[in-house]
Order: sequence, then structure tokens, then C-alpha cells
Amino acid sequence: MFYLRGCGRWVAASFTKQQFPLVRLSSDSAAPRTPHFDVIVIGGGHAGTEAATAAARCGSRTLLLTHRVDTIGQMSCNPSFGGIGKGHLMREVDALDGLCSRICDQSGVHYKVLNRRKGPAVWGLRAQIDRKLYKQNMQKEILNTPLLTVQEGAVEDLILTEPEPEHTGKCRVSGVVLVDGSTVYAESVILTTGTFLRGMIVIGLEMHPAGRLGDQPSIGLAQTLEKLGFVVGRLKTGTPPRIAKDSINFSILNKQTPDNPSVPFSFTNETVWIKPEDQLPCYLTYTNPRVDEIVLNNLHLNSHVKETTRGPRYCPSIESKVLRFPNRLHQVWLEPEGMDSDLIYPQGLSMTLPTELQEKMITCIRGLEKAKVIQPGYGVQYDYLDPRQITPSLETHLVQRLFFAGQINGTTGYEEAAAQGVIAGINASLRVSRKPPFVVSRTEGYIGVLIDDLTTLGTSEPYRMFTSRVEFRLSLRPDNADIRLTLRGYKDAGCVSQQRYEGACWMKSSLEEGISVLKSIEFSSSKWKNLIPEVSISTSRSLPVRALDVLKYEEVDMDSLAKAVPEPLKKYTKCRELAERLKIEATYESVLFHQLQEIKGVQQDEALQLPKDIDYLTIRDVSLSHEVREKLHFSRPQTIGAASRIPGVTPAAIINLLRFVKTTQQRQAAMNESPKTDQCLRNADRLQERQL
Amino acid sequence: MWRGLWTLAAQAARGPRRLCTRRSSGAAAPGSGATIFALSSGQGRCGIAVIRTSGPSSGHALRILTAARDLPPARHASLRLLSDPRSGEPLDRALVLWFPGPRSFTGEDCVEFHVHGGPAVVSGVLQALGSVPGLRPAEAGEFTRRAFANGKLNLTEVEGLADLIHAETEAQRRQALRQLDGELGHLCRGWAETLTKALAHVEAYIDFGEDDNLEEGVLEQGGSTWWGRKTPISPQRLPSLSLFACLLSPTADIEVRALEVALGAHLRDARRGQRLRSGAHVVVTGPPNAGKSSLVNLLSRKPVSIVSPEPGTTRDVLETPVDLAGFPVLLSDTAGLREGVGPVEQEGVRRARERLEQADLILAMLDASDLASPSSCNFLATVVASVGAQSPSDSSQRLLLVLNKSDLLSPEGPGPRPDLPPHLLLSCLTGEGLDGLLEALRKELAAVCGDPSTGSPLLTRARHQHHLQGCLDALSHYKPSKDLALAAEALRVARGHLTRLTGGGGTEEILDIIFRDFCVGK
Repeated sequence: MFYLRGCGRWVAASFTKQQFPLVRLSSDSAAPRTPHFDVIVIGGGHAGTEAATAAARCGSRTLLLTHRVDTIGQMSCNPSFGGIGKGHLMREVDALDGLCSRICDQSGVHYKVLNRRKGPAVWGLRAQIDRKLYKQNMQKEILNTPLLTVQEGAVEDLILTEPEPEHTGKCRVSGVVLVDGSTVYAESVILTTGTFLRGMIVIGLEMHPAGRLGDQPSIGLAQTLEKLGFVVGRLKTGTPPRIAKDSINFSILNKQTPDNPSVPFSFTNETVWIKPEDQLPCYLTYTNPRVDEIVLNNLHLNSHVKETTRGPRYCPSIESKVLRFPNRLHQVWLEPEGMDSDLIYPQGLSMTLPTELQEKMITCIRGLEKAKVIQPGYGVQYDYLDPRQITPSLETHLVQRLFFAGQINGTTGYEEAAAQGVIAGINASLRVSRKPPFVVSRTEGYIGVLIDDLTTLGTSEPYRMFTSRVEFRLSLRPDNADIRLTLRGYKDAGCVSQQRYEGACWMKSSLEEGISVLKSIEFSSSKWKNLIPEVSISTSRSLPVRALDVLKYEEVDMDSLAKAVPEPLKKYTKCRELAERLKIEATYESVLFHQLQEIKGVQQDEALQLPKDIDYLTIRDVSLSHEVREKLHFSRPQTIGAASRIPGVTPAAIINLLRFVKTTQQRQAAMNESPKTDQCLRNADRLQERQL
Repeated sequence: MWRGLWTLAAQAARGPRRLCTRRSSGAAAPGSGATIFALSSGQGRCGIAVIRTSGPSSGHALRILTAARDLPPARHASLRLLSDPRSGEPLDRALVLWFPGPRSFTGEDCVEFHVHGGPAVVSGVLQALGSVPGLRPAEAGEFTRRAFANGKLNLTEVEGLADLIHAETEAQRRQALRQLDGELGHLCRGWAETLTKALAHVEAYIDFGEDDNLEEGVLEQGGSTWWGRKTPISPQRLPSLSLFACLLSPTADIEVRALEVALGAHLRDARRGQRLRSGAHVVVTGPPNAGKSSLVNLLSRKPVSIVSPEPGTTRDVLETPVDLAGFPVLLSDTAGLREGVGPVEQEGVRRARERLEQADLILAMLDASDLASPSSCNFLATVVASVGAQSPSDSSQRLLLVLNKSDLLSPEGPGPRPDLPPHLLLSCLTGEGLDGLLEALRKELAAVCGDPSTGSPLLTRARHQHHLQGCLDALSHYKPSKDLALAAEALRVARGHLTRLTGGGGTEEILDIIFRDFCVGK
């Protein structure tokens, strides 16, 4: 295997307006100066690419370090993006001007919105993606991002220096050491190493170290992190074998066609790159008792299944499906890997049997009787770091300016990784410019729920986004991600382009205007019945009915409403997206009012910041039980709201914390009035700490 | 910014597994100031009981209960006839005081109702308040918390707030346990279980129905009988999804509708429902043959329990209402705690332990002449030590250690073991030490009953009704044929109300059911 590790080749960098610190390459400098960046991102997967581009969008000179440039944007597992909950995440990544949604709109081969009939709050945008196209488009995007430099190299160690006194943490990261011994300095470092930390690939009884099939794991880095005191856990995941397309008999299988018209992932696209009729179908087949038999007879040859390492309860391998739900037929979706790909991805057949048995099992499935396995399925076991060791801005508690994003935090899925990547990239950049962190609350987005769950509760299985995890599901919808995040992303993070910002502003004001107009139009129910005969409105109601309430009926949309009341509603039907979004707002209007009240309550709790440097184990001003102290010490919640979500933290403890916060705030207010005493007090505090 | 803090503790009080606030969104508008009410005088015998409200709807509630257009003059006592807004039935002629915010105890609009102290009147007014939209029963310590939030208490005054909240939470928890210990509890848990399962199935259908090849088992799990076949037909991802939606809804629908009927029937029945066992719960416990039944008979001045020299005479929990030093008390005699006896007595011991959990005050009884026996030592080490080990702020459960049969101790002999915690000597036979015990009981009961709102059964019942009604209201919004996300939201709110009564209710619970029942996976 050809491996370019650590060769230090500067692959590509695009320079636009600004001059880059590539001076170290220029020959006229007397001594070879060490390169210096604002942000270094280690890893070029779904978290890494989003992190690097987000940091660059925020104005940081960014270096993306990856094992191999040609694997940037690689989809290592399933050839699809999105789904229920995951599609929500992609919309939010896009609202922050992230990449994956736009790239998917350019690379898909089969677009389909799931949950179409279950309500727009839970629609799941999903697409089969052409792996090759995705990678190409992603690499093009990455290599053309201003301020972003890409270098091949494996990171062996972190450069650590004295901590900044005004922040917590025992040291500060200031760069990385590559395998070849060279160093690169940076103000912030983001680790997105995926399954590469002490990764092990398992097929049958064979195990060998690798981050992904064909790629070396990162061992030095794993040791460094462990030495620093990070709590490390182990997780496992798996991927199915790949089958030769021409060896499958599709004619006898159920065919699924894509949506017509296709719904794009990105707010900036009105349509996708490919027409529905040119898209590829998926096929459905089923396992049978013969498959169960092969699994059960060969458990002794399957060390991945026997291991105790935690795998997910969902998305299990075919082995665990057979073991947990015996005597059932399980679905197998045959998904295309790309337009001109010869491979088919059998979704549902993730397995770690020895290679020869994999083919044996596959060929007893209907339609796959003559199937050829091109690449065997395999399992991966890897280290993850307990995510309670990071803050909601994804910076670690232990090491200042070190950020983690993606599978390293115990998540699974491209979308979960991308979501964390954007947040880590933004915050690494904000940290350099000494601006306050950009935190998405769980009242604002799925990204917030994801990160809050991870940082306050941790995880013991690969964490995946579900809509059922989201309390305010009806408010946090795929359709309104731009209103929720684009404006904040522009103002607070600076990661959103002017054009996108203006688009979102226009949409927001149009929606608000539209809703208030719809509220202002009131007729009796019998008049509505006359105007729109198909509406199932009860005419016995005596009170006038608002147009917004009429729009709630399933059989009514903006078009029919505008036909009935052309003035002033006609103008809201000109933009299709606006008309559709008004309909959605109407559908949920009554519930949203209640949710908004609840959201305010949660946000008030989250506005109550806990001091970052508080030492829960020793602090005397707060009366807390030992158990509560340990829990707070480990998770280090940043707000009272987060603290109250930690299991085992009692209401009485919350009140005590509140009292402490209030005292601290009073003290700070007093300090601000007299800055000099402030300094003295601080010094005195510090002295006391030392004495202790 | 401090307005939100009550929501927090309220939310934390609901249990650690809650991932986020799922408050009773169906009823009040929380977070931004729901209006709360509570009985704020103690449980002791009294002529007048004080019921307080705090929050923006206080004035509204006052007008509704007094059927008046205008509010009475601020901060003046006025005599008004209170009547139930639903039935118009008069409740009591009471003094009402109107305190517009911010010049009030909590800083919000407050009303005080000074009503005649009988349980029927108090219960009637509490229920009438509960029926006013926007009002709900207060959480533990919520009045004080609001006062704190609005800057009405300074930091030293609030020093004891955490202790108070803890004590009130504990007292309310015990009170809730008592209510849930019985038919109502059984019903509530059953309903919560049904609802949780229905919600888990709907959530599974939303999250995994189309994305993750939720296998056909979902239908059988749902209990649909006519879709029992195992043919590999999968409507998921196929265009004819309407088919599947129709298939899922009948089962969830039937269960939810059945639940609605049951809740409705229960609520209509609630007024002549269970007898309220008012008063402090005092439980007599100890090893067998310590003289527990003798003490119960002595305190109640009537032969409640059979007394015999044979250990294990009392096998069930016997309760009797008594008046101790002016406080209403429910006195429970329990089986002697010991291991390894017959099944009937074992059940008695189990019930005794359960009752112990619910006690406000424990009378721990030992045989003074038999302190060295294994059963005595064991009792000291487990029951007495575990309650005694907690500081008063950690537990509002109180314990009095009584050494009976002092007449058997020789007057000159060495006293009881020196390592014993503080205790009282008593002889049920001679009555010696009874005065001392009564005095100690009076002090303890004053502390238990004097604390307003600690687990008042009237308030607990108002809470029950409030949440059951909230659950019922939410269920009426469950319409699975339309937007399934909206239907699930209705179930979420309904379940939120029920789990406020029974505990639990986190997202993980739902996910556990999903992954247990369905093979979800790609």
C-alpha cells in the first residue's frame, strides 16, 4: 500500500486576497521558520472538513492536516447522507454555511424525503450519494477555500505550553509534532481523528491495527491524550461487504424510485444537480432462515461479536440482529454507490464473519444468489474520549485551545460529525480572536441537543441523533434552521456569508409579515366554507376564524387560500418556499406558542453561567454532597440549566449553586465598580488558593 | 434573569433522568410565570387555614372565585363569598387579601384566602383554584424560591432555602408515596406505562419507520391482530405509506382512547374517591416483641392491636387516627422486623418497611432488657443508624428511639449501652416515662406539622387532579390521522403530566423500549 504519511508535502493552498504564512517555504528567510497558523485541524473526514472550512470562514488562517489528501471527503461507510434527525442536522450545518449539504446537492444519485406523511417537523431529507463525486466536490471545495491550507502528515504529538491564567485547564496546546519530527505551531488545535485512535479492524478472528480499511491508526496521539489524563473509552462499529453490481439479479427485487421533484439539502439551492429521471433506484430484499443458520453456526469464528465493547443498540450488525431478534426476516437495501460505480452497498448486512463465510451468506439471499463480494465487511474498534471532558464549545477542560469533534467524542454518523465540526471550527477561531464562544442551546437546534447530551450526560454507545431526543421537536424543524441559526452564525460567529445572511433575513421578515397578515384576515366560518368549499370547517362556530386557522386544515394550502382572498395573500404564493413555510408555521402555530414559553424558561436557566474556574471538590461556599460534587467536577456544566440536567444533581444542590452564582455576580459587580480592588481581590484569591 | 430559576429546581425536583424541561405545557405557561397556589398554614388543628397564590393570574383567580368584577382594595382584608367557578356551588365565606406585585411576599401578584379550617373547605378551595386556567399547585418551596428570584429575600435569609426545599421535596415525596400506595397509585402507574409504551411506539415509527428498516414487528408489537402475517411486505419507504400510517394508528388510537375514558371516569369519580388520611404519619417499628403494639394501644387509649408475649403477633399494618398533643396523627403499628419466618409474616415485614419509607416520624422501639440480642443490634445498625446518620437537613424524616420495658431493668444496675443514640425510657406496663415521651412527641409533631405545605394531603390531591386533568386535555389533542409529530407531541405532554405523579419520564426510557421492542438497524 502506498502511503504518504508524514511526507510533509504541501498539497494545495488557495490564496485570495490575503497573504499567507507560507513564508517558511520561501528560500530567502535566513533560518527555517516554523510554520504558524491560527487553527490546525487534524483529520480530513466529515468533522475535519467542516471544522477547517468553518474556521477559515471565520477568518482564521487554518491548516488541515490529513494522512492522505486523496481521502479527504471519503465516505467510509454508507453511501448516503441525511435521514430522520440527521437531515435536521444537515440543514443546521448548512444554516451555518457548512459544506456537506451543498456538496450533497451536487453529488446525490437518489434523493428522497422520508416521513413525508408524518408532519414537516419530522421530515427527513436523505440522499444516496455518489462516493466519488462527493469526494471530488469536497476536495475541490476544500482546496478552493480562502485562508485554508492542506498538508499531508500524521500527527504524533501535541506541543503543550503554560496555561493562560485567565482560563481553566492545566496546559495549553500551541502546535503539533508530525511523525517526521517537524513541528507546526497554532493558536488552536482541533482533533477530528474519527476511528483512528488505536483503531483495530476485525474480520472473523483476524484483528489488525487500522483506522479504516487501508489506513494506519494513530497510536502516538492516543498515548499523548491518555498521558494528559483524558478518560478514554472503547467503542465498536461495522460496515457491510460491497457487492459487484453486475452480479445481482435486480429484476426479481422490489424497486424504490426517488422523489420527483428532488428536495435539495441546502437553503441556497432551489434544486439538485440531477433530474429525478436520471437518478438511480434502490432495491429491497430480505434475509432468510439460512442466513440465521450461518451466523449461529459460526459465532466461534467471530471475535467482534463476542467482544464486550459497546456497539450501538441501533444499526446493529446482522449477527446481533439474528441473536437479539431470532426467527425474523430482516430487510436488506441494495444501494448504489455512485453513477458509474460497479459496487452495491447492502445496507443491513454489516458483518464481521470471516471473508469466505460472508460470500456464502450473501449468496443465500434472494437476488444475490450469484453475488460477488468485492470487499468484505469488517468491524472497527476504536478509542473515544468521554465527551463530558469537553465544554459545549467543544474545547477540552484539560487542555486549553484543544478541541474535539466527531467520532472521537463517541458519536456515529457523518452528519453528527459534520455538526460538531462546524461548531469546533467556529469556536477554535473565536478563541483565537478572544471572542466569546458560539454555543447552540438545545432550545435552538439539534446541534445543541447533540452537544448538550454529550457534554452533560456522556455516552456509552455510539451516539446517534434521533428526533425523539429533542424536547422542542416541533420548533426545531428542518424548514426553519436558517431562521434559528443563520442570523446568529452571521452576527456571533462570522461564519456565514453576506449573501446567505441577507437571504435568511428576507425570509424571516417575509414569514413574520405573512403570519401577521394571515392573523389579521378574519371571516365567519360559513364565509370560509363558501370561499374554499373543500375545507372541512365546521360552520356552527360563531366566532370569526382567522386565515391562519384555515391554513391549518390539511386540505388547504397558500395557493387555495390566495385564490379565495387574493388581496393581500397573492404575493405570498410567488415564492414557493415561502408559501410552504407559511403552511408549516400555521400547522404548528398553537403548539409553538406553548413551546416558546417553555423555551424561554430553559433559556433563562441557561443564561445563569456557572464560574468556569470553580473547584467543586474543594469549594466551601457551597454546601453540596460528595456525590453531587464529583458529578459536577467531572461534567463541569457551564450553566445552571446544564447542571440541572446531570443525573443525581438534586434540586437543593441547584439552589445552592444558584446562591453561589448570585454571590459571585454581586462580588463581580462590586469589582467592576472599582477595578483596582478587583485586581487586588483576585490576587488575594489566588494567593489563598496557593496556600490551600 | 432570575425569574427562571424556580423552573429549574422544579425541573430538577422532577427527577434526575429528565433530559430537559418538559413541563406541563398543556396547562399553564411555565417559565414565564405560571401562577401557583398552596395551602400555607400547617396541618395542626386550626380555626383558619391560609391558602396563597402567586403569579400573574392571581387577580384573575380571585375575581373568578369571588364572582366579582373588581378586585378588593390592595392590602385590605375583605370578606367575600367564595364559590366553585365550575358549579357555582358556594365554598366558604372567607377573608381575602389582594397584594399586587411587586409589594408582596414573592414580588409577584399574590392573593391570600383565609378560609375556615375544615378539610372539606380547604380541599374545595384548592380544587376550585386548580380549575382556573393558568393556575397549578406549587412545587416544593416554590413560594420562597420566587421570593428569592425576585430579590425579596437577601442572601442570609435564603440560607436555609436549600434545606427547606429538600425537606419539602422529601415530605411531598412521602406524601405522594402514600397516595400512590394503593389503588390510585396502581392506576396511575398503569396509565403512565400505557402512555409511555404508546409514545415509544409512535416515536419509533417516526424515527425509524422509514430510515432504519423498522421491521414488520412494529405492527405485531402494536397489537394489530389482523396484520399478524409475517410476509415480507414492507410498506416503509414505499410510496404507499398511508397504508402503514393507517395500520399503526388504530392500535395506539385504541389504547389512547381507552386511557382517555379511564381518566375521565376517574376524574368524575374523584370527589367521592379515596378517604384522605390527613395528619402526620407516625410509624411504630422495632424488632419483634419490643412492645410496639402496647405503645400503640397506650397512645390511642383503645385496644387497636392484639398484644401477646409471642414474637410476631402483629403481621399487618394497623393504622389508627389519634390526636396527640393537639396534632392529628395517623399512628401505624407494624410487624416486628426480622428475617426468615413464614411467608405471611414476611409480607408483613415487607409492608412494615414500605410504611417506614412513608413515615414523617418514626417511633423506633427496642426492648431495654434485650439490647444485646442480634435482632436489637441489627435494628439499631440498619433502621436507627440510617435515619440518624442523615443530618436534619438531609432528611426531614424524624426518629425517636424508645426503650421499652424499663421496669425490667434493675434500678441499681448499669444503664443501657453507653453507645446508644439519644433515647427515651418507657414502660408500657407501668406507664412510667409516658409523660416524657408525650412531650418529645409534641415537639417533633410541632416541627412536622407546623411546616406549611409539607406534604399536605389536600395539596397532593389537588396536584393529582391537576395533572390528571392536564393529561386528559393533552390526550384530546391526539389525532394520529393527521400530523404524526403533533400527535406525538400530545402524547409527550400527556405523559409529562402522568410522570410528574409517578416519577421517571426521560427520553432514555423511550429509547430503551424502542430498542427492546424493535429491531432497528441498517
